[in-house]
Amino acid sequence: MAYDRFSHISALRPRGGEPVRTVAGAAKEEQFSRLARLLGAEERTTPFGCHLAVSRRFPDPRPCTLGPQAKRLLAPGSGPEAGDIGRWLFLDTETTGLSGGTGTYAFLVGVGWWEGDCFVVEQYFMRDHSEEASMLLDLVQRLRERPVMVTFNGKAFDWPLLETRYRMTRAAVVERPAIHLDLLHPSRQLWRLRLKSVGLAELEKQVLELHRGPDIPSHTIPGRYFDFLRGGPEGPIVDIFRHNQMDLRGLAALAARIAGLLEEPENTGNDAGEVYGVSRMLHRHGQELLAARGYQRALGCGLPEGADRVARRELALLARRRGDFRCANALWAELLGISNDGLRAYEQLAIYYEHRAREPEHALALTREALQRLQESSPAALEPHQHRKWDAAFRRRLARLESRVAGRPGKFEALKDPEEIL
Amino acid sequence: MDPHPSQRKSMSLVDVPQVIAELQSRDRANEVVTAVHQIPAREAQWAPMPDWIRPELADAYRAKGTAQLYSHQAEAADRIRKGKNVVIVTPTASGKTLCYNLPVLNSVLENPDTRALYLFPTKALSQDQLEELQDLGRRTGDRWGVFTYDGDTPSDARRAVRQQGHVVITNPDMLHTGILPHHTRWTRLFENLRYVVIDELHTYRGVFGSHLANVLRRLRRIARFYGQAPQFICSSATIANPGELAARLLEEDVEVVDANGAPSARKHIVFYNPPMINRFLGIRRSYINESYRLAQEFLRRGLQTIVFANSRLHTEVLLTYLQQANRQAPGQPDVVRGYRGGYLPLERRDIERGLRSGQIRGVVATNALELGIDIGSLDIAVMAGYPGTIASTWQRAGRAGRRSGESCAVLVASSRPLDQFIVKHPDYFFGSSPERAFIQPDNLEILVNHLKCAAFELPLAHDEVFGAVDLPALCERLAEAGYLHRSGDYWHWTQEAYPADTISLRSVTSDNFVIIDETEAPEVIGEIDFSGALTTVHPKAIYLHGGEQYHVERLEFEQRKAYVKRVEVDYFTDAIRYTQIRPLDVAEDACVAGPAVRVHGDVQVRSQVVGFKKIKFFTLENVGSGKLELPENEMHTTAYWITISQDLLSSLSYTISEKQDGMFGLLYALESIASLLLMCDRRDLGTTIGEGAPPEAGDTVWPAKPAAGGRTAVEEFFKPTLYLYDAYPGGIGLSEPLYRIHDQLVRKTRELITGCGCENGCPSCVGPAGETGARAKEAALAILDRLCA
Repeated sequence: MAYDRFSHISALRPRGGEPVRTVAGAAKEEQFSRLARLLGAEERTTPFGCHLAVSRRFPDPRPCTLGPQAKRLLAPGSGPEAGDIGRWLFLDTETTGLSGGTGTYAFLVGVGWWEGDCFVVEQYFMRDHSEEASMLLDLVQRLRERPVMVTFNGKAFDWPLLETRYRMTRAAVVERPAIHLDLLHPSRQLWRLRLKSVGLAELEKQVLELHRGPDIPSHTIPGRYFDFLRGGPEGPIVDIFRHNQMDLRGLAALAARIAGLLEEPENTGNDAGEVYGVSRMLHRHGQELLAARGYQRALGCGLPEGADRVARRELALLARRRGDFRCANALWAELLGISNDGLRAYEQLAIYYEHRAREPEHALALTREALQRLQESSPAALEPHQHRKWDAAFRRRLARLESRVAGRPGKFEALKDPEEIL
Repeated sequence: MDPHPSQRKSMSLVDVPQVIAELQSRDRANEVVTAVHQIPAREAQWAPMPDWIRPELADAYRAKGTAQLYSHQAEAADRIRKGKNVVIVTPTASGKTLCYNLPVLNSVLENPDTRALYLFPTKALSQDQLEELQDLGRRTGDRWGVFTYDGDTPSDARRAVRQQGHVVITNPDMLHTGILPHHTRWTRLFENLRYVVIDELHTYRGVFGSHLANVLRRLRRIARFYGQAPQFICSSATIANPGELAARLLEEDVEVVDANGAPSARKHIVFYNPPMINRFLGIRRSYINESYRLAQEFLRRGLQTIVFANSRLHTEVLLTYLQQANRQAPGQPDVVRGYRGGYLPLERRDIERGLRSGQIRGVVATNALELGIDIGSLDIAVMAGYPGTIASTWQRAGRAGRRSGESCAVLVASSRPLDQFIVKHPDYFFGSSPERAFIQPDNLEILVNHLKCAAFELPLAHDEVFGAVDLPALCERLAEAGYLHRSGDYWHWTQEAYPADTISLRSVTSDNFVIIDETEAPEVIGEIDFSGALTTVHPKAIYLHGGEQYHVERLEFEQRKAYVKRVEVDYFTDAIRYTQIRPLDVAEDACVAGPAVRVHGDVQVRSQVVGFKKIKFFTLENVGSGKLELPENEMHTTAYWITISQDLLSSLSYTISEKQDGMFGLLYALESIASLLLMCDRRDLGTTIGEGAPPEAGDTVWPAKPAAGGRTAVEEFFKPTLYLYDAYPGGIGLSEPLYRIHDQLVRKTRELITGCGCENGCPSCVGPAGETGARAKEAALAILDRLCA
């Protein structure tokens, strides 16, 4: 009664429904040489075997420089080599998946750098899993020559993945890049207000006004590679090479744009979102004066509602720190309303009138108004937990102010918020 | 766990033997208290702290009150020191955690690079362990890092765990989905992995154990990649085959340490069968109410008592009763508390403290407390219902047992066949070893899933070994299905998806139904295997989950979703399933008494749920039914079967219909005894009656259980065959053992039926009277007489 034990195993059923066929031997050799011809690629040999490499030079716009101001914002605390664009290496990988883990491969690694008037792109490709170690070894040379890595989301994705690949293949021992400029974060700062999704292709189109021409959707990439591994056509792989080249060139253009914006924050043009983003970055890095001027300018250009409130709030807080209460109060007064910033404005003004101006009656009136408006507000205006938090805070304040106004200061002293001891 | 807690004095006014004597004196008919068994006191067997233990560690233990060791602790430490894999088998509260902590921590002190991985089946146990290790750490100058790593570990803390954890405490699921697929981030751990501790080994049986064996195959592969071959230290509650289970899980030699050196005072085990209220129908008083009454009697006399229930629902019921009976003045804390899975460590510490101080007098618990959670020991354990296995009965009984002062465990039987068999055959219980635990690491469904994970983690070499299967052939199949690609001598993973994510260690296939509770905002409350789904979450079924009852509103078959709402009803549902079985491959067969043939091998099971019955709790009355139209389910699994010869059948002086009643009754009883002997859940086994080989000779369709209201159209079987099959695709290793214990199985089944006091069938033997046919019991016995000849 012999029967096929494997035929009933659901874990062995093809995911796509259809079984796949794999070619080997001479057919595979032909596939490899057709691909090399189409790409103008060379086969490189290393002590670990061989892989494919393609090198191309593009007459792309002159490289930017990274001035001291931009360097402070993009790579705070890094050594002087961060500013030396001759040591920059742009990197982008094409992978068999996005989930990470030890079973995700970077089958194509593209790197780029500025050399003279040109942007050079070099791509390493494993035609089969057995070529991985060789490919990674070749890449090590470039990583060592240019220790400043520039990527888009490389800190969370490309670099950890490559680290895993080096550990898995033991091709080489690699160190974390000395300096890693991941442009995803500054791009989000600068263009989040303008773009729905801050992706590289979107940035190229909307911000850099570059046009890629025909391109492939990224989600098709793993499938194209799996097909190729089993002997499928080379064309879909050539498309991936082009896609990767465009990503790298786009990345270089983006770097130039960001470096320019950050170097001269006063001359960033009149895009409110960009000005606002630069100001947020300046603020985070402690450049308060420039940040305040930026917020002012962004407000002048017209910001969307949420960002408008943040800019006013930050300006008010900066003014308070400078001791410029008139300016701060004017901004708080504009902010009063049912939102976290609006309620904070009530709170800040109440604090001011209670402790600075010594007009507790005024503070009391503001607190009553805040509570009143909070009670009348629609449930959608605030998250329930925030509603509760603010409500409780203003009630505490109300009780204290009422007893103070009624002339019972003892209780008030005991309940003083630490936050209010400025 | 603190191996030598300060001795807790009993606060009772009477002693335990007095109470037992009282119980017995009330039982005039001598059929309620069916056994009083005594376990004599035992002296501690001491051994000195081994001289190779670092003085700072010995000092830390001394400061906690452990200056010398119990003999089994010293023996275990010594064997571990010698590099052996060990499994430590000792009862509750005998200081087993010291057996592994001592040698592991000692080697961390000797070499700070040493790393150890601890696996616990639940998070609560991990927490207890964490606190113990941190306490020891503080006493030795904080020379090691101990962390738990599970779903609750915040992502910003994970890096520290990976780098600084000398001891990483986790669970098999996290190892499977969170650690192994990311082993490159755990380089520090794997490059120095010297010990793997597997606590509560006995919980890894059946599906879960078969999965764990494969996770360990993967773990050893990864360790090998980093140049390590870790030593395994397991601890287990008392089961019949701890060494065998460990060896199957680890696939390495394992030494068993089972000579317990911990002391205990005299202990009594009482079997209590609730009195009959309807002798003819075999109906007894509710065991839940009886358990409550007994517990209350003990509590009233000042005896600290733990009550075990088998479900959360029953825990809640018993807790409510006992709290009402022991109501405190307003504002005073309850003296009876609940304790089940999901309690937070703080809450548990509070309960433990209360028990220790004597302020808490009673605890009602589920099986969460069966595991090694440390609540110390009490005077009395009351078990509401047989816990299902001899092993867990001993474990629960072990919760009562002081070092000084006598203690008592009472088993209150429900009317289920197993419960009734146990309380009526005390000699069987006290005379036999606990059950064996079975796993089937080479179940192809399970193995192939882990093979995918293994390929994801590290390419598979063409000459690698992964279980007892033809690996190259399997890899070829996986390549054809698009999962793998061969390059040179290695097979590589070629899917975008991350395989571990879709593989649950608690079920065989990933084709699961999601159960969504719509009582309030829709919420996923569980998942269920495809094969289990059709019988448990069909429309209008009452689905029991965590002791709560849910009514199945609708089943979306294609979407694999069941929508349920919480209800409280006094019945449960039992699906009526038509099952067709066909032998595919005979592994072994032999002629046995009867004459009959016993066989085990591969079968195809096709089943369809066609309706359901509503059955009332406690009385098991049939209170309604419904028809269902659900798709047919096909499964390949392993089975054990008995084919009864025509000679045997024709020699019986019954009608065809009566003979069939007898066979169904026999199968009902066989199933009970089979799950008893195998230490498996009753749901792990499926049963049906069909034709034996040749399979082509017509696939006669038979209901799994005779439908209510009598049958028509009675056909005579050509070769009537009783099938007991593994209820999981691919099998989990139950069929071959059943084949081996055939003689014991039929003899115990005969004892069950002859020992039952009912007239002609009841739920405790061949099935409820009125459903089984008037002469089912005697016909079943007549067949059994021949099978036992």
